[in-house]
Amino acid sequence: MIFRVLDPTPEKTAPLGQKAPRLDTLRGKTVGFISNGKEGTKAFFAHMEDVLRKDYGVANVVLRAKPNYSAPAPAAIVGEIKSWDAVISGIGD
Amino acid sequence: MQLASRTYEADSIASVQELYHSNGWTDGLPIVPPTEDAVRACLERVMMTPDQLIGIEPVRELPITAEKLAINAVMAGCLPMHFPVVVTAWMAMMREEFLMHGATASTGGCAVLVVINGPIREEIGALGSFNALGNSDRGTAVIGRAIRLCLINLMDVRPGAIDRSTLGHPGKYSYCVAEDEDDLAWTTLAEQRGLPREASAVTVMAAGAPRQIMNEWTTKPEEILETFAAEMRANLRHYSIHPGNYALIIPKQLREHLQAAKWSKSDIAAFIHERARIHRREWADVGKGNVVRDRGDSVYPAMQSADQLLVIGAGGPAGGFGAVIPPWLGDKSYAVTLPIGACVDCEPPPSVKGSVR
Repeated sequence: MIFRVLDPTPEKTAPLGQKAPRLDTLRGKTVGFISNGKEGTKAFFAHMEDVLRKDYGVANVVLRAKPNYSAPAPAAIVGEIKSWDAVISGIGD
Repeated sequence: MQLASRTYEADSIASVQELYHSNGWTDGLPIVPPTEDAVRACLERVMMTPDQLIGIEPVRELPITAEKLAINAVMAGCLPMHFPVVVTAWMAMMREEFLMHGATASTGGCAVLVVINGPIREEIGALGSFNALGNSDRGTAVIGRAIRLCLINLMDVRPGAIDRSTLGHPGKYSYCVAEDEDDLAWTTLAEQRGLPREASAVTVMAAGAPRQIMNEWTTKPEEILETFAAEMRANLRHYSIHPGNYALIIPKQLREHLQAAKWSKSDIAAFIHERARIHRREWADVGKGNVVRDRGDSVYPAMQSADQLLVIGAGGPAGGFGAVIPPWLGDKSYAVTLPIGACVDCEPPPSVKGSVR
């Protein structure tokens, strides 16, 4: 007996978007952090800022925390990304 | 009715199983082969075309079509009569306030609790009696499983992929209960949330595992409910302090005491709202002193308001047991109640909007 059965997954995958152009250096740049707001992110991002400033010459670091760590970043934070040269969105748990 | 999904051929039932398991399309248990006939029968039952959009998942913007829900429902063991519940549950899960992405991706490891109300319970033989939170009947077993298979296959909610649960719980195989509506003394859950009793309805809640309680040594409502409230206080101490939708499952034996004393579901919710709350300093008693800080006197209720309590009559006729089902993460996700199919009394829904969220 031949079973003819159907694929349970979506036929079309959602577009993943495109990678932004890579930076040739971090020196003098502005880097934004988007934290999910959990306790563990505080020390993590503080250390990241230290490393980026001291070892990579980053000029400015902007830290933003999401009000709800299980939901996407609000539009106001996403809107700020344009003014940064790079963004790090980390999950701390 | 032309289906759009890719088809595969397998020469035995064992080959079908291996095809689906090897592609990661199952929950680890055998599936029912989703043939075109079986899927079409589900779609005909809900009078939907295969490409009908059930909704768009709000965070990742993934479109969910009736055909894909039907394929997964058949795999879970659903018959056409079960499919309207699956469709309605998914419509509810895609409401923004349910926060499906967070609830299904979280390390917190909750499952989607599905509660069925109304005449469809009798149609599918799901009556919320013996073993209500376990393998009580075929209908709730396969509907709950369909919810999970759809999450796995349509949203990539696989362990280690989108599903980042640390532990999860057994309800992630299937977590569906029908309310026991045999006694008319109480409003049903769906009525409490603004729908007419005659309407079949589905409520979804992002829920932790049930916490069972026992008190068969009193008939006083206050004492019975104090045991439930104590379990909720324990959850606030041991798990999460976030207030939100809690569910109480009250089987018949305890229900009869409450009803004999003329306590309505609203009376129960009001009592529980007053009693299920802790001081932040109590965290120090359970090893969480580091996060008490200078806010030890702050009071944390389990719910923001009494109407966030979902009181559900279900369970076998004997036994002084009950259960508290805690929320995944308090007010990050709200339970959603929707009527199944066309409900002329439910539209337009201004009165529903106020209480159903």
